[in-house]
Amino acid sequence: MTQQELADKVGVTRQTVIAIEQDRYSPSLETAFKVATVLGVRLEECFQYEPRGKRS
Amino acid sequence: MATSLSYREKSLYASLVAELAVYGPYFFLHRQNSVNRVAGMILAIIVLQIILQSIIAAFTRNRITDERDRLIELRGYRVGYFTLASLMILGLGMLWFHAALGHFPIEGRWVGLHFLNVFFGMLVISDIAKTTTQIVTYRRAL
Repeated sequence: MTQQELADKVGVTRQTVIAIEQDRYSPSLETAFKVATVLGVRLEECFQYEPRGKRS
Repeated sequence: MATSLSYREKSLYASLVAELAVYGPYFFLHRQNSVNRVAGMILAIIVLQIILQSIIAAFTRNRITDERDRLIELRGYRVGYFTLASLMILGLGMLWFHAALGHFPIEGRWVGLHFLNVFFGMLVISDIAKTTTQIVTYRRAL
């Protein structure tokens, strides 16, 4: 699945998908659930919470 | 990886270019001020914005605005508001100071034009601050 296809199915722009991938944007809970649903995985498999400053 | 600009980003860049192209010469290439010059400046910014935004809309297929766009827009408006409020307080303070010292002899309608330029300049600076904040936020983390 391309970034554009994911963006279209979730209802965001491709630039937002890129920003999420690059950790420059934390999506809303609704968008996060939509991404996980579209990808067919659980939410925890898609998104993890790591406090800033402790990320590798 | 190079990231293409979203529709909203392109629109912001166009808006900033239009503002600088019209307001820059108006405020910095100072000639004899007049009501006609003010009207011409307003007409120029309206026409230029319509042209640029229309071109961008015509060449952009996906014009969706999502939650990230709205959040960045809100941040821009917040910066713009605080910029405008700060300039207004500064401007009112300066006006009060100069008025108290008697620096404003009444000279008919030219006083009105000077005040118009001052307050309009505040709006322009605030709008540029708002647009610039949004452009920078798109490139950085939100």
